[in-house]
Amino acid sequence: MKFLVENINKNSGRLGLLDLKAAGGGIQLKTPLLMQTTKGGSIPYLSADLFENYVQNKNGQEPVPVLLQLTLSTMQQMAESLALWPASLSHYLGFPGQGNVLLLRDPCESTPSGGNDRDVAPIFTRQGKESLTPERYMEIIASFKPDIYQGLCDADTNLESSKKRVQKSVDRTERFMDYIYEQHGKLQSTSSSLLAPIVGGYNIFARTQSIKHARQQPEGKYSGYILEGFHNNGLSATALDGSQLLPIVEHCVKQLEENKIKMMPGAYSPLIILELIHIGVDVFDTSYAYCAAVNFKALVFNYDEKSIEPRPTPFLDITDEAIKEEFVPLLDNCKCLTCQKHTRAYVHHLYKTNELLGPILLMIHNLHHFMGFFETIRSSIAQDKLPKLIDLVCKQNGDSKVDYSIEKNVKVISKAVVGKGFETTTES
Amino acid sequence: MSPSNIPPLTYKVVAECSVTKARAGLMSLRHSDVNTPVFMPVGTQGTMKGLLPDQLIELNCQILLGNTYHLGLRPGIETLRKAGGLHKFMGWPRAILTDSGGFQMVSLLQLAEIDEKGVNFRSPFDNSECMLTPEHSIQIQNAIGADIMMQLDDVVKTTTTGPRVEEAMERTIRWVDRCIKAHDRDDDQSLFPIVQGGLDIPLRHRCVSALMERQVRGFAVGGLSGGESKHDFWRMVHVCTDRLPRDKPRYLMGVGFAADLVVCVALGIDMFDCVFPTRTARFGCALVDSGQLNLKQQKYKNDMEVIDKDCDCSTCKRYSRSYLHHIATNECVSSSLLSIHNVAYQLRLMRTMQEAIQRDEFPQFVKDFMARHFQTEPIPEWIREALAAVKIELPKDDATDATKEAKKRTTTS
Repeated sequence: MKFLVENINKNSGRLGLLDLKAAGGGIQLKTPLLMQTTKGGSIPYLSADLFENYVQNKNGQEPVPVLLQLTLSTMQQMAESLALWPASLSHYLGFPGQGNVLLLRDPCESTPSGGNDRDVAPIFTRQGKESLTPERYMEIIASFKPDIYQGLCDADTNLESSKKRVQKSVDRTERFMDYIYEQHGKLQSTSSSLLAPIVGGYNIFARTQSIKHARQQPEGKYSGYILEGFHNNGLSATALDGSQLLPIVEHCVKQLEENKIKMMPGAYSPLIILELIHIGVDVFDTSYAYCAAVNFKALVFNYDEKSIEPRPTPFLDITDEAIKEEFVPLLDNCKCLTCQKHTRAYVHHLYKTNELLGPILLMIHNLHHFMGFFETIRSSIAQDKLPKLIDLVCKQNGDSKVDYSIEKNVKVISKAVVGKGFETTTES
Repeated sequence: MSPSNIPPLTYKVVAECSVTKARAGLMSLRHSDVNTPVFMPVGTQGTMKGLLPDQLIELNCQILLGNTYHLGLRPGIETLRKAGGLHKFMGWPRAILTDSGGFQMVSLLQLAEIDEKGVNFRSPFDNSECMLTPEHSIQIQNAIGADIMMQLDDVVKTTTTGPRVEEAMERTIRWVDRCIKAHDRDDDQSLFPIVQGGLDIPLRHRCVSALMERQVRGFAVGGLSGGESKHDFWRMVHVCTDRLPRDKPRYLMGVGFAADLVVCVALGIDMFDCVFPTRTARFGCALVDSGQLNLKQQKYKNDMEVIDKDCDCSTCKRYSRSYLHHIATNECVSSSLLSIHNVAYQLRLMRTMQEAIQRDEFPQFVKDFMARHFQTEPIPEWIREALAAVKIELPKDDATDATKEAKKRTTTS
């Protein structure tokens, strides 16, 4: 993998190009980049065919390639099969020709705390907790042969973590990484690129120590950075406070090698993503779009600079009884399949009847909306207009900051109100 | 409104098998042409579980089934009317058939009671008393706007015997007249009566004769596939198709296992529906000619083949059994992937039969199919009998030892 910074704008952050040697040729991905988050190697609710035919962006006739964000916590049971699989990892998942990154944790779900014994890293899978030794981790990497993978780390920290916990996460990550750096060069028959993990919670000194350890490595040991330990994934990431998060990330970015790619997985809100891009972070994922969809929220926040009308909430709540007979698209002028062919009333009906097509249609819309958001971000940076976009996303043409945090939709779990027998009709 | 000079349903026999009663036909409906014999996937609540309308069109699905009982509850007929009918509400441009709601009442609701007025039941939501009458069923179906709708029938358990069966059959005939009278949109929607009569041949004959006196565009055969023995099942289908008119489509309700489809096409049935292909998909099972693969089984863990190398569905183009093994029943997307394959399988089976009938090679197709389908177990006796009744003699099994004979008798579902 090669990363090239193409353009740095003083006010707007940077544009780059990620060159990946995926099986069967290379793909080029533009940064700021939106990875497609997956569960068990599939984009949640969407078959590969559906995604590529109806959701994936087309640049003229050529589809814009995708980087799949795979997570070991949802895929570790496939290791044995993948060791026997003759083709590429993306191919196994039904996405031949697309790129992939293998991470440890699923950003869509909250990661339990604990299980951090001295020499193992916990991963929380469907089967329960599994303790990974660095040795086992490298065996798995050799079986998966991902295009990119992250270094093993302890990222079990958040804003509330004690100093002691933060220090432990840094120390344990160093121990894991000493082994990983050593083994990485010995990986046979793979061209997997390694991302160096940077941990240390919200503590400047701990972060500096973690960065130092990575920067001590000889040139070429790793290809980029993954910044973790700011949140415990799931909905918690959507509610992060920028005033706490941004200074610590800025501190890290300044000390990291400039020409290396920087990834921050997690369901960061659109506003935080913009501010992180402004600081110099390059790679994000679609877990925010997923978190909204499974809580029956359609993303409708505005990122069109020509818009003037205020939009006080970034979501359309599909569980709202008021849309029962709204035979209009989720979002006006949206070009996604859901909005082109279906209505609010229908998606509301699918929610009420607990039908699988409901989250499918919401994922199609939310991914489309989020992917469009990233296209706008890239063109905004090119024109050095990111601050204007930040302002629009922040206030949505209104007077105050819009709330982008996603709360658990309890209605989805306890559906008390459904139908009450047949409606009696008055019409003849 | 559609041009009212063209009937909302025309049916034409395109080819007939020279040996069996099988026929290939073309049914033209307001929303699409339908080649028969046809399998109709079930989209109970205004959606085929886990599939987009566009994906169904890609599979060349021409007609879907919707359930009146569920749709009457949610979204309800007011919303359906405002939406302009179910086609618009769910974004499905092709044909739809709706049942009458009666079967669901009796099968889902333990407290349903039937009298001359209609079906009495307690709402599953608030336990209030509700009544579904023939008029009400038609009113809901008119709001749904399906191309084909079903009369409300008096459903009894298939294993019921005695005077109740005759009463249900007679009442079904009385109710069809009430349905016809209540039907407001005969220019757009075709109402099918349902042949009842339990497992009693004279009752079935009487019911067919009475229904044939009504002005209808097609017929359904009901009251089967509910736990009766397969020996009774095929005979009832056989006596009905013997008497039903040649120039109208015949729909056998609730049948969808591959072997049953092949047998009943040979007996002269044109239309089928069943939840089985999509339900079994949700449990991680994929349909193939030799039966079904339960992909959760360990033997598929490292099986790098596709489900069926001759299948051209989007699932078989991309995914190995191994990958599907890992995600089946774990990731929601597996339901969609296996449903696509299973619906593709059913539709391809029907297309293959249409083509075989048109080439007049249907008997050979049946023999080949049964040989593939029953590779590891003997062909059930009822299938031999049913096919013999339409002049197809299947080759004898090599081994006819006692255990196999015993197994045949117990194979009833």
